[in-house]
Amino acid sequence: MAEFRLDCLGEACPVPLLKTQKKLANLKIGDLLIVEIDHSCAMKNVPEWARKEGHHVEIEETGDGEWEIYIEKTK
Amino acid sequence: MQTNPTVTEKGTVRQRKKKKNQFPVAIVILAIVIWFAIILGQKSPRLALSWVFGIAFGVVLQKSRFCFTASFRDPVLTGSTSLTKAVIIALAVASVGFAAIQYGAVSKGLPVPGFVSPVGWHVAIGAVIFGIGMVISGGCASGTLMRVGEGFMMQWLSLLFFVVGALWGAHDYGWWKKVFIDGASGIHLPSVLGWPVAFVLQLLVLGLLYIVADQWGNRQKD
Repeated sequence: MAEFRLDCLGEACPVPLLKTQKKLANLKIGDLLIVEIDHSCAMKNVPEWARKEGHHVEIEETGDGEWEIYIEKTK
Repeated sequence: MQTNPTVTEKGTVRQRKKKKNQFPVAIVILAIVIWFAIILGQKSPRLALSWVFGIAFGVVLQKSRFCFTASFRDPVLTGSTSLTKAVIIALAVASVGFAAIQYGAVSKGLPVPGFVSPVGWHVAIGAVIFGIGMVISGGCASGTLMRVGEGFMMQWLSLLFFVVGALWGAHDYGWWKKVFIDGASGIHLPSVLGWPVAFVLQLLVLGLLYIVADQWGNRQKD
């Protein structure tokens, strides 16, 4: 149950998604990955991809135009 | 709810950054938009209409997270086709509208409104180059503009070079047109196939693309 943060602030999509995919592949099941983003497009495609993969996903707006995506690796 | 600290699964408490209340700014901007629309309206109603439609288009684009780039990129990258389907639906709706406008004009004996551009290899090649560019820069024309407005500063840079590229392209357009475009001719499908066939064919192709996109999207789930 380790927790990791991934700083994607200032990265345009699709970079946050690619980074998330790479990072998540290295995590163990049950680990939590927190992706920080400020590109509205990544707010859509990162959660969509992660949900499709079957992970638990939560999104939270932490500031104006800044979001944190919580992804719990489930498989 | 919005101001509570977040508790993650590990039980750590995270304090959120305080959000600025953007509502007063929104009211001021709305007032400016309306004021400017009135000024434009006094010059010409058409200008005011364009202004209002432009603003509305931007709002819809931003709120719906609609992105032409993602619609072509995500099927390959993530297997998600929700935006692809959205674009196909938008094209279908637009086709109906355009057909109505064009048919209305043509049946009155007027020339076909809108752009009937020459088709040829130059379109395919240009589209591929544009596609590569929009994925790297993080947005197509409308997407870049929308994110410039959202305050995503990296794309202010995209916009700058977008303008530079567009100006350069416009400067040399005469040469490109002479060498590549003049050989090709514009095809207006309804004029060639007749209105019913062209209309049904267009919607049929879009429908087929929608089915393909839908199945591609579901395929990845397994």
